[in-house]
Amino acid sequence: MTPGTGQLPEIQGAQRRPGLRGWLLFAPLMLWLFAFVIAPTAIMFVYSFCQRDELGQVVFEFSLSNYTRVFDKTYLKIFTNSIQYAAITTVICLLVGYPVAYFIGRASEQIRNKLLMLVMIPFWTSFLIRTYAWMSILKAEGPLNGMLLYMQLIAAPLDILYTPAAVVIGLVYSYLPFMILPIYGSVEKLDNALIEAAFDLGAGPVSAFSHVIVPLTRPGIFAGVLLVFIPAIGMFAITDLMGGGRVPMIGNVIQNQFGQARDWPFGAALGMTMLLLFAACFALSMRKSDAA
Amino acid sequence: MRSRTPSGMRLVNLLLSGWTGLVFLFLYLPIVLLVVYSFNASRLAIVWEGFTFRWYEQLWHEFTAHLADERRSALIESMGNSVIIAAATTGLSVLLGTAGGWLLHRYRFPALRTISTLIFIPMIIPEIIMGISLLIFFKTVEMELGFATVIISHVTFCFPFVLVAVQARLAGLDPSLEEAAMDLGATPLKAFWHVMVPYLLPAIISGALMSFTLSMDELIVTYFTRGPKSETLPIKVYGMAKVGLNPLLNTISTVFIVGTAMLVICAELLKGTARRSREPG
Amino acid sequence: MKRIGGLIYLLAIAIVAFLVGCKKDEPAAPAPGAGSAKAPAAAAVGKELNLFAWSEYIPEDVITGFTKETGVKVNYETYASNEEMLSKLLAGGTKYDLIQPSEYVIEALVKQNKLEALDHAKLTNLKNIVADLRDMPHDPGLKYSVPWMVGFVGIVVNTDKVKDPVKGFKDVFQDKYKGRIVALNDNREIVAWAMMTHGIDVNQMTPENLEKVKPTVEKWIKLVKVFDSDSPKTAMMNGDVDIGVVWSGEGAILANTDKKYAFVIPEEGARQYIDNLAIPKGAPNAEGAHLFINYILRPEVSKLVSDKFPYTNPNSEARKLLTPEQLKNPASYPEIKSKQTFRDIGKAASDLDKMVTDLKAAAN
Repeated sequence: MTPGTGQLPEIQGAQRRPGLRGWLLFAPLMLWLFAFVIAPTAIMFVYSFCQRDELGQVVFEFSLSNYTRVFDKTYLKIFTNSIQYAAITTVICLLVGYPVAYFIGRASEQIRNKLLMLVMIPFWTSFLIRTYAWMSILKAEGPLNGMLLYMQLIAAPLDILYTPAAVVIGLVYSYLPFMILPIYGSVEKLDNALIEAAFDLGAGPVSAFSHVIVPLTRPGIFAGVLLVFIPAIGMFAITDLMGGGRVPMIGNVIQNQFGQARDWPFGAALGMTMLLLFAACFALSMRKSDAA
Repeated sequence: MRSRTPSGMRLVNLLLSGWTGLVFLFLYLPIVLLVVYSFNASRLAIVWEGFTFRWYEQLWHEFTAHLADERRSALIESMGNSVIIAAATTGLSVLLGTAGGWLLHRYRFPALRTISTLIFIPMIIPEIIMGISLLIFFKTVEMELGFATVIISHVTFCFPFVLVAVQARLAGLDPSLEEAAMDLGATPLKAFWHVMVPYLLPAIISGALMSFTLSMDELIVTYFTRGPKSETLPIKVYGMAKVGLNPLLNTISTVFIVGTAMLVICAELLKGTARRSREPG
Repeated sequence: MKRIGGLIYLLAIAIVAFLVGCKKDEPAAPAPGAGSAKAPAAAAVGKELNLFAWSEYIPEDVITGFTKETGVKVNYETYASNEEMLSKLLAGGTKYDLIQPSEYVIEALVKQNKLEALDHAKLTNLKNIVADLRDMPHDPGLKYSVPWMVGFVGIVVNTDKVKDPVKGFKDVFQDKYKGRIVALNDNREIVAWAMMTHGIDVNQMTPENLEKVKPTVEKWIKLVKVFDSDSPKTAMMNGDVDIGVVWSGEGAILANTDKKYAFVIPEEGARQYIDNLAIPKGAPNAEGAHLFINYILRPEVSKLVSDKFPYTNPNSEARKLLTPEQLKNPASYPEIKSKQTFRDIGKAASDLDKMVTDLKAAAN
């Protein structure tokens, strides 16, 4: 594949230029994107250059001040904070989730879908109910501390709830399925013969894993990282509830601009900055894998 | 076959199943607590005060009264709304995401990178911005807020999940696979149905599960795009937190989770019997 | 396979078209005159009433009772904060007939001419509202709003754990309680508490005053373990904190569950919040909205609200129907020396938000 043609790196083989039919088939998706993604985003893009009145309504008066405010050191610190939490969550989800995805993907056909369902079912309750359940597990007088005390592993109750550790537990819990599912899709199509061949050639489990399995499941890993990392940046409900709301996340700040601070244009500017940051990273990562 | 599975591999398998078990324990830990608390006598569902069936009785009464149209139960109505919205969202997201993922794989569209980036916007954009901008958009095109607007918004942030899963599955696959099938005499319809769909099925299932889950649990976008008659469960639950989470919430969640689990197992059992009767011996 | 792809897309388009279409088919909410069968007296009352109110604040019995009597169907849409409501109202959601904002939001909405003036001739039960709530600065003479319930921000103490007497904010925010405090996750609230402690009017949100209270807020933020506006009682009941500044409704629930929880009105000043009913400009069923307001002003209806939610009832006739226990709850009917209500602070809201965000980000 020639680099720089703008195609996705994973795609090989007989790709064709879309004819009229290709475009027709693609039209609904494009229409959807235009109507429900591009148009609303454009509205916010315009807002991000506007001002506001006393009630918080947007006044159309061009200004760059919202963007200069984004680069205030407080907001930069909050941005880095949010990205840090998202990154830690992604790494832990990958380490914890990969073996599970691998196990499910290699399990017999009859139980695979059942196991997948079982991964998802806990998340069909409301987020708030689940989080409150976690909070009562982790609280000072909760069952976790009770058990640890009973087993005499600790002398005094651990302070877990309302610490960064609790936040990470909450984030990993919420995003784990979004790591497991895409990796599962890649593992499921692994050819057994390839793994066996690696063993026949004398590779141990570790080298078979790192030289054969990981490269073959890379698209799944990439998808999983994307599906966890990106949404986790904007997440703030879990940090608020399990972290005690002491550390502001970028999601909090944006939410506040549309709420109490009544500064929609600044909120829009923050959102647009996040979007541009993402677009740049995404384009960069695609170019990098193009070159590879 | 045994000789092909080295002992090191068997150990790895054992470790893998053990790890998976642990992770499932982690996933179900809060659910266990929720089930236990659905039998809690305390009204506030925070501290344990003794065993009771009271909440199940109350849920049953609310349910029957709601069905008989005697007394409207906001909780049961919102639960129903959530399931309807999540099901519609899942259906549409699977159509849009699968077709999109496949077409992006099949054809070399110009500006592919731009299109791919656009698809990810709903995932990165903060929910409140998406909610408010969609609300302004719906107002501009004069769409009345209700189920339709909620479903459209949900599909917008759910279908990228299906698309990503499908793309990951397609990666490395020769786009001319179907043509090969067609060369062997299959019609395009048959080729797609018999070659592509089975191949993509694991990705479609995981994409559908992710969509359903995301839709069931979305709060902020739903808040802005809902109409007066389309309250969903998360909105109801969020409001209830203020006056104290009602134990009925634990009860209804328990019933829902156990219900779906039973449904899955029953369907699997039925499939099993059908398979066995078809393939004697 | 192209045909199949096409079929899928046609199906998708059909479903979207159906969704869009079925929304349009629904009869528009206001159908003037159509609801007159059951309520012949009010010919102009629409069939449906779009109520946009706080979640868990209007008992279902009240709504059912109103519908039974008037034949007007109530669509109860909920929100969880004033700001949420304001955002949706400003962005132009559904055409609402009745909203339930707090006092400072009423003031802002009146300033921007976003509320319909009330027709007092139709509100025959308005006389039941207690005198001291009729001339509040946010809406003198109740021209645009009618009080629904009144609450306070106060201090809740777990007396098992905290033995020292607690009288005001300065007793809460002490170094010895570091990591044992819960506070509302609301930037304006914490600044207002600091202002009251400094003896500054909570509505003089000038840059100088903000600068003056900044060190206090900075110190307090470092002492707090949990910020939670939605359910601060959870951290309290879980035993993770022992003292906190919370809504009186939360305090009343805590006081009702266990005697060890004491609710104290801070001596520096009590922030009073008044939730009101008001009719937004252009409401399709303003007639029905008036009917509803007059209905809830009846003592026996207002009592139903008090039975369910332990806030201060502004209806003097309804108070006569309450039990002595209800009236004795210190979180519902506290004795207060100085009351403060929030006024609209306009653009200063953003400066305040910036300051608290800065301090919170720097504290960690």
